Amino acid sequence: MGEKHLVSEQFLDALEFRGLSRRDFLKFCGATSALLGLSELYTPQVASAIEKASKRPPVVWLNFASDSGCTESLIKATYPNAADLVLDILSIDYNETIMAAAGKQAEEVLAKSLKDGRYILIIEGGVPTKKGHGMIAGKEMIDILKDFSGPAAAIIAVGSCATFGGVPSANPNPSQIVGVSEALKKTGVNKAVINLDLCPVNVEYLVGVVVNYLLLGSLPELDSFGRPKMFYGRIIHDNCERRAHFDAGRFVEQFGSKEETMGYCLYKMGCKGPMTSSECPKVRYNDKINWCIGAGAPCIGCAEQGWPDKFARFYERLPGVKIPGFGGIETTADKIGAVAAAATAAGIAIHAVASASSGRTKDKEKEEGK
Amino acid sequence: MEKELKYEWNLSYRIEHWVRVLAIAVLVLTGFYIHSPFMGGGPESYTMAWMNFFHTLSAYALLLGLIVRIYMAFNSSFDRDWQDFGLIRNLKAAPEMLGYYLFLKSSYERARKYDALQAIAYPFIGIVIIFQVMTGAALYKGRLFGFINSSESFRWVSTMLGGESYTRIWHYLAMWVVIIFAGVHIYFSLLRTVTFRDKTFTSMFNGYKLKRKTS
Ligand code: SF4
Ligand code: SF4
Repeated sequence: MGEKHLVSEQFLDALEFRGLSRRDFLKFCGATSALLGLSELYTPQVASAIEKASKRPPVVWLNFASDSGCTESLIKATYPNAADLVLDILSIDYNETIMAAAGKQAEEVLAKSLKDGRYILIIEGGVPTKKGHGMIAGKEMIDILKDFSGPAAAIIAVGSCATFGGVPSANPNPSQIVGVSEALKKTGVNKAVINLDLCPVNVEYLVGVVVNYLLLGSLPELDSFGRPKMFYGRIIHDNCERRAHFDAGRFVEQFGSKEETMGYCLYKMGCKGPMTSSECPKVRYNDKINWCIGAGAPCIGCAEQGWPDKFARFYERLPGVKIPGFGGIETTADKIGAVAAAATAAGIAIHAVASASSGRTKDKEKEEGK
Repeated sequence: MEKELKYEWNLSYRIEHWVRVLAIAVLVLTGFYIHSPFMGGGPESYTMAWMNFFHTLSAYALLLGLIVRIYMAFNSSFDRDWQDFGLIRNLKAAPEMLGYYLFLKSSYERARKYDALQAIAYPFIGIVIIFQVMTGAALYKGRLFGFINSSESFRWVSTMLGGESYTRIWHYLAMWVVIIFAGVHIYFSLLRTVTFRDKTFTSMFNGYKLKRKTS
């Protein structure tokens, strides 16, 4: 097989020792190349890129304002999973949540990475921009970000908190949390950020971007939100397994109904799939076991900028509308439309009666106005 | 006062008008379905797919119709009427007309073709149509005219309106503006027909309106 020339036996043995058979490893490489839009023929190259990576492009993983859900999604696999191991190999030099070292030791590793530079900087969590609202070891998170972003070879923001603020930035956002690219703009650092928006990040996206970087030495093509086009180029709705039900007009009207058990489309249950771009239906979560809509929940739009505020309420199609000047009265667009139309109809009816009783409609001399 | 039948709307004006009526009717109906699907589909149906298809199709008709109408205003061989829509002049004349319709005045100054309120309302509806096309394009996930990646190209619209959910709300509310306009428009054409007996209502079918003799 071709890959023999590209991946050393030693490396495959090492993987086998860690519980990943060479078969599974190559399968994973194949899947990764497919994810990157490369043909199967690239599998050996992907494998070799990963092997080369084992000779350490250092990764620094910083945690800011988040619940570490992305780290969870990275490490919580039921059995040694390929993506997991590959990220292990990538030598995550520093990750507060999962590294063994702590305290001074950990800080030393971090300082060394910073000095060496050219690391892949992965950031999890939003950045508080209000003074004193987010500090690590007495240092403002935004300053830490600034220091580390300079020497980084690539910056990857993982999860919706790091990309655009996510849950911690939701209204009323007392700490004025923003995403990494916004925070960098504030600190005057001009560097591209790869936004892997999702809550939590899909590990396969992360691996895809990293492998892509190792293979080509370049960052993937990004869309206008800084998300790699290869993962955010299509809306959920266009790949959804329930799409046939949508097109047919078969909808779940209520949870717990017969329609729900039939797996009908969740559009009327507030599914945001039609306005959310991500490859979730194909890549899925937890070793491709399942994903939101597959599990019967509507997509809540976590791959998009402005989530969650602009995608609430999750189980309704459209958000409520606040009418300004009425003490924050919230209503629905439907009510506004209906009331306006009813008022118009009433106005017309009254005017018609008034016109008739004023005699205007009868007076032939008044034709043509003046 | 002598009156004569005047050929007010030639065939192209009338076709343009009815294409728009049809497009708006289809857009409103399918739009309501897309907003909140009111009939369920059976095992072999494509209800939503058809609704989407006709919604997009009519949107093209509405947009192209508007472009044709604007072209006609400047370059029609029948009646170039763009000068009738001067905003300032019409705004000045509007209070009198409003007063008449609110029974405060017994008459008002009639214009050549469009009275003040009409001359204000029609361009306004043109703007609403453009707004609908833009918000619609921002919500559309296909390729406009087969080659413009609409959601990327029109993302700025959603960004300006505060996100796609809000684009949807604005798109929906602007539809109500069109519906209300259509209602008022039909009412006024009937009211004029009854009050002035000038055949306003039928003029959009056969083109002839009863007017003061000019020469
Ligand atoms: S469940 Fe959601 S994403 Fe899937 S077809 Fe229905 S609306 Fe689209
Ligand atoms: S399907 Fe929707 S809610 Fe689920 S992970 Fe993907 S973008 Fe987020």
